[in-house]
Amino acid sequence: MPLSNDERDELRATARALLGRESSPEQVRATVADAPGYDRALWDHMVELGWTSMHVAEEHGGAGCGYGDLAVVAHELGRAITPSPFLASAALATGALALADNERLAGELLASLATGESVGSVALAATDGSYDQARLTTGWQSSGGSVRLDGASAFVLDADLADVLVVAARDQDGVVAALAVDRSAPGVRVDRTATVDETRRVFTVSFDDVDVDADRMLCEPGSRASELLDEVLAIGVIVVACDATGAAEQALEHATEYAKTREQFGKPIGSFQAVKHHCADMAIAVEASRAATRGAMDDLDGDAESWLTTAAITSSYVGPACSDACARALLVHGGIGFTWEHGSHLYLKRVKLDEVLFGTPSWHRRRLADAVFPALVAS
Amino acid sequence: MWQSPDTLVSPIMFEPGGPLEELRDGVREWCAAHVPKDWREQQRGATHQELVEFMEWWGAQLREAGLLAPHWPKEWGGGFSVREQVVIAEELARGDGPRNGLYHVGVFNVAPTLVHSGTQEQRERYLPAIWGGEVWCQGYSEPNAGSDLAGLQTRAVRDGENYVVNGQKVWTSWAKEADRCMLLARTDPDVPKHKGISCLIVDMHAPGIEVRPIRQAWGPADFNEVFFDDVIVPVDNLIGPENRGWAVASGTLAAERAVVILEAAERLRCNGIEAAIAEAAATRLEGGEPALEDSAVRELLASCYAEVQVLRRVLNEMIDDILRGADVSGTSSIIKVLYSDLLHRFTRELTALHGVAGQLDGPVLACAGWETGFWMNDYIHSFGWLIGGGTNEILRNVIGERMLGLPR
Repeated sequence: MPLSNDERDELRATARALLGRESSPEQVRATVADAPGYDRALWDHMVELGWTSMHVAEEHGGAGCGYGDLAVVAHELGRAITPSPFLASAALATGALALADNERLAGELLASLATGESVGSVALAATDGSYDQARLTTGWQSSGGSVRLDGASAFVLDADLADVLVVAARDQDGVVAALAVDRSAPGVRVDRTATVDETRRVFTVSFDDVDVDADRMLCEPGSRASELLDEVLAIGVIVVACDATGAAEQALEHATEYAKTREQFGKPIGSFQAVKHHCADMAIAVEASRAATRGAMDDLDGDAESWLTTAAITSSYVGPACSDACARALLVHGGIGFTWEHGSHLYLKRVKLDEVLFGTPSWHRRRLADAVFPALVAS
Repeated sequence: MWQSPDTLVSPIMFEPGGPLEELRDGVREWCAAHVPKDWREQQRGATHQELVEFMEWWGAQLREAGLLAPHWPKEWGGGFSVREQVVIAEELARGDGPRNGLYHVGVFNVAPTLVHSGTQEQRERYLPAIWGGEVWCQGYSEPNAGSDLAGLQTRAVRDGENYVVNGQKVWTSWAKEADRCMLLARTDPDVPKHKGISCLIVDMHAPGIEVRPIRQAWGPADFNEVFFDDVIVPVDNLIGPENRGWAVASGTLAAERAVVILEAAERLRCNGIEAAIAEAAATRLEGGEPALEDSAVRELLASCYAEVQVLRRVLNEMIDDILRGADVSGTSSIIKVLYSDLLHRFTRELTALHGVAGQLDGPVLACAGWETGFWMNDYIHSFGWLIGGGTNEILRNVIGERMLGLPR
């Protein structure tokens, strides 16, 4: 059952309180400074609060809420710039398996993802960061009753924590497959890739003649797998846009607070229009991004046919708008905003990664054009 | 002379309270039957008089169908819920109905103000007149009171049962055609500026009023300067209490404004961005390739398409907030900035895309808002949206101060 508006407010308050206690900017800095780079105890609390199971169907041990509800959590995690496997596991791997036609596989994996017993992630990008399925750099081929994987996928979130990876691969004829792969299987290797945003843990996953049971396919290879992987990508784009919106909202609040209290020329700097207009532009970006992401997450609870378009619209607007907002927040702080010690850069870096993590706005605009222009030209 | 089409079907009168989808289908069919397919061709280069005649004709069509003022109370010819108003506005925009400029101030600004702040007698007198086609203008800005509107200097001095009005207004749209004006004038010069303003109904045919057209940067002259020289206004024409005109003028019109801008956004989507996408398929770039196959053009048009969809989401959320009774004054400023910035960017980029052909000029289409039929003129026209209704700079102050609580 989707949450009512009051229940969403309650969820938001709970999330904000928990993250206020356990994911303050100081705590985030301390967490990312040392291995493993995320707070295991906080993750356990998130699991206890049901954040990994809320949008899992009741038959798989979840609460049966919607993506519209998950949006509340994603937004709050962005506000708190929390490093956690939530995006990888609760949103992406869980989302992918919920879409799978292979119900036995979905049932088995979703139950343990929902309880937090296991963690999942998805490997959808080529080594150059492209999400174009024609350019996948992980290959598959059938070999008897199993599938062999070779190659590598990049920009995989929290791959070292994952028990299961949903992997996009293509065979030599270009046929795409979606497979659930044990991260501990022989031949699977994960290597951390340093990113400027330290609040996200990004890995390259390599496959060296990895043997996977053919019944670990999420669906039939080919057009159905291709469609499913696009749907997972859409989930990624939209959830990460919620994250960016939350981070930009927090950056706006910090900048506004600073503009009210910092004085120069005998006045709060927020009384100067140059500063005030930066703040107003941030408020415009945040308000529009909030409306865009809330609507897009609700779309994820509807027919998947609209997802590609919705994701492309979201990517086109939200990432750039939130990045611009976080950049302005840094500027409002002046010199202090340019220091490592001050937090402004943390929000900007998080949102800049969010903007491109599941494909650049530019690429999504081209996909949007391919999806919607033909009908407009014909009409 | 405007030629009305002879294909009119028998009139329908839309009624509030039915299923939304029936209303949507009904208005869609009504538009298909009543919006002349060739109104753009007919109106291109129309004289001012022809434009006025066309708007009168279009206003009559809307009136007959019960669609002229859906947001008014039921007893005056409206009674449609906010959701129904949204459906009507969307379908009129999608059905390419002409913009209802001539009656806009009366229908969308004056009537709701009278409903909120007027006397019953004023409502009984003026609402039926506006419904019947009376044209109103709005006397707000002055040469020395633009962004600082509350600094206005036009005086209304009480003399027995009348006020005597002296002063000058500017940027007054449709003042030449207007029968009446909703005027802001200073009735008490000795109190802080917001507290000495009153809102008056002025007969535009009264002695002492002179209207001088001002030509806009995009060509036509449908706004004006208005001079008031000892104009007599009966005290009964005061809207709301004396010296409370500032509150009366900035009253609770959020829902009406939301629907107006929603209609504008729908027009930008359908007649602007989506039409430009279709047009780009048939336009060739300098190198000879179809514009729509060029990756930069595709990306530009897709980003405008995405942004107008985001704007629709923001508008829909604002309408939900209005229905919940939330304060949307900040959001309405945000929406005006979003809409006008998008319109401005879109017309600027499309002008650039058309190269030197985008600079062509000819007889403009004056009754389609920013869609003049010539890209460079559309771009010039878009500045009107950045400036009118509170400049975007002032609105950014409003957002900073009222939404974010920044100091003045």
